[in-house]
Amino acid sequence: MMKRARFSRVAAGGVVLALGLSLAACGGTGSGAGSGRIHVLVYGDATNKVEKQIVATFNRTSKVKAVLDTIPGADYQQKLQTIITTKQAPDVFYNWGAGSIEPFVKAGLLMPLDGFIAKDPGLKSNFLPSVFNTAVIDGKPYGVPMRGTQPVLLFDNKKVLADAGLSEPRTWADLLADVKALKAAGKTPIALGGGDQWPTQMWFEYVYDRVAGPGLFEKALGGDTGVWASADSRRALALLKQLVDAGAFGSSYDSVKFTDGGSPALLATGKAAFELMGSWEYSTEQDADPGFTTSGLGYGPFPTVPDGKGDPHDVVGNTNNFYSVLKKTRYPDAVAQFLKLQYSDAFVKAHLAIGNLPTTTNTPKFLDTAANPAYLKYQFDLVRQAPSFQLSWDQAYPPSATTAIHTAVQEFFDGKTDADGFIKAMQSLPAS
Amino acid sequence: MTTTSTAPPPAARGGRAGRPLRRPARRSGAAVTRPGFGWAVPATLFFALFAVLPLVLVAVLSFTDWDGLGAPRFAGLANWRALLHDPTMIRSLWLSVLITVLGVAVQTPLSILLGVWAAGRQRNRAVLSAVFFVPLLLSATAVSVLWRAVLDPNFGVPAQARWLFGDGNLLGMRSGAIGVLVFVGAWQYTPFHTLIYQGAARAIPEVLYQAAQIDGAGTVRQFFHITLPQLRNTMITSMILMVVGGLTTFDTVLILTQGGPGTDTTISAYYMYERAFKSFDFGGGSAIALVLVLVATVISLVVVRVSGYDRMRGSTEGL
Repeated sequence: MMKRARFSRVAAGGVVLALGLSLAACGGTGSGAGSGRIHVLVYGDATNKVEKQIVATFNRTSKVKAVLDTIPGADYQQKLQTIITTKQAPDVFYNWGAGSIEPFVKAGLLMPLDGFIAKDPGLKSNFLPSVFNTAVIDGKPYGVPMRGTQPVLLFDNKKVLADAGLSEPRTWADLLADVKALKAAGKTPIALGGGDQWPTQMWFEYVYDRVAGPGLFEKALGGDTGVWASADSRRALALLKQLVDAGAFGSSYDSVKFTDGGSPALLATGKAAFELMGSWEYSTEQDADPGFTTSGLGYGPFPTVPDGKGDPHDVVGNTNNFYSVLKKTRYPDAVAQFLKLQYSDAFVKAHLAIGNLPTTTNTPKFLDTAANPAYLKYQFDLVRQAPSFQLSWDQAYPPSATTAIHTAVQEFFDGKTDADGFIKAMQSLPAS
Repeated sequence: MTTTSTAPPPAARGGRAGRPLRRPARRSGAAVTRPGFGWAVPATLFFALFAVLPLVLVAVLSFTDWDGLGAPRFAGLANWRALLHDPTMIRSLWLSVLITVLGVAVQTPLSILLGVWAAGRQRNRAVLSAVFFVPLLLSATAVSVLWRAVLDPNFGVPAQARWLFGDGNLLGMRSGAIGVLVFVGAWQYTPFHTLIYQGAARAIPEVLYQAAQIDGAGTVRQFFHITLPQLRNTMITSMILMVVGGLTTFDTVLILTQGGPGTDTTISAYYMYERAFKSFDFGGGSAIALVLVLVATVISLVVVRVSGYDRMRGSTEGL
């Protein structure tokens, strides 16, 4: 579910080389006294276009210059953790908020941003609160949103649904009925890249939220592991099992990946009718098949669950990416000025131009200028109106829990563990 | 002609007495002295710096609790104790051994047959041998990505051959995933071992076959009574390489299965990576690494011991 997971693990092979390069690239941070530079470290991908632009804008007026360092490859978090305590540590770096920075906060490496916000309240008030709060840890803000939001939506192939005489499901019963009808029509009802594991996790996130509301997961994250054994938790698992047993995902989903284009191709070619995926599904499909994306790709909210305690408007996914600041930065004032640019008009326009949806309050002003305004408007309203925006489980927990969550999720879908096994696995997750 | 499988006289076994004849240094007389220790200094330093020192550091790390941030904290035997009761660790070792054994069992017969065949002299064989060699030139990453695409249940070969592959859920099933890992490993590394066998087969003295023909032995008999015994040392070399390669298999697992489904293909090397670099538990990861070093050393020693490789027995005595 992480943004980084959009990119194939293939790139992992380049890890060492890339690390070496980036170390060389940012060698001056700590040692070069009076270098007058701040280093900004971001995940290397297509969005760097915008970040380069922002850095250039900053450098036009600032005496302290910003240098953009990018780490390509899927293992950003691992490389970041390797350099963050060294002299090569950046001043400002990209992250996913919450669990992804919690170990750094605990280790006393990050600067709480209250000071910056006290001087410039706009650093907080210009962002959607549900998004901004993802980077609040122990009551203190540690990050400023810096890319686009990525809620998870239920995508569909309009033609497949129309051919089968179906409409987008609004309730759990609709979904089950659709699954039955699609199976009868010889389709895989729902495409799932189970080989990546995190797409499977998305189903858990939504069903748990719809059944129990966001409180259950928040409590679990806070250390109250008893909630995993609650009646709500068991009901959520029962619903998931019901869907799997109904054949909603076919039987070979664990041999399919999202990251190598497998599951998006199932949807685009009409072999499958649905895929639950982050909002980046749109750009993924656009890359692969622009024709299908403009005319055949449908999207909607996750269905409601009967007697569910969660608000049907709740969303899950990645709220956004964030810039966090290292405590030991030598130019805090320059950093504060740099962060300000993340809610500027130019920032919003640049992101919209490449299909990202920033989560600043001024975003709606520019939505019409985007290439795909309808899709972005839908997303923006979804995120703005959401009473709760649950961050992906594997990002909400510290990185040390990721593997255990993924394994538990996959084994439950495969029937290798039952509800008790899943509950036990989630209860034994490392809290920090 | 069966001298090859006859043991040399006891005096020659294992001792230096049986070997001086094959040592060029002795053959050319006293003019050539033995190389001094000085020659070994660069290699020894290199080995100490890049093999021994890291090993010692890993050993120290295995007694600490370290997430990569701040200083490692001494944790005593905690990591080791946890490892003893970790079902994934035991399973991962078993899996590593299983994949290694299957790899040897699949690749050895294949590469012997191919190697012996390729040792022939016809022109088309040279061309085909070159083609066989191609998989080895690709990186394990490229090979894994390639096979992942070929084996895709919806768009790959399984979709066209349902009668053979069923629903094509090869990588989503324990047996299927292990099978794919062994197959991909074999696909990539059989050419290499074929090459070794080809060289060895070419080195078998022609006179052996000529004599066998006079005695009336057919192709099959020649293969079993001349070729195979003559390839004995090559076989041991090749198998040791396979064992080492099998136990350290990593890239194919990382790309093809990520240790999944569940932990069904979490072999020790991948488990070590997962603990150290994905879960940021460098202490636990180091302990796994040491266990792997230990197991690999023991297995290699056993192979060397059982095969008699340590005695370096010749296969051409009596010629």
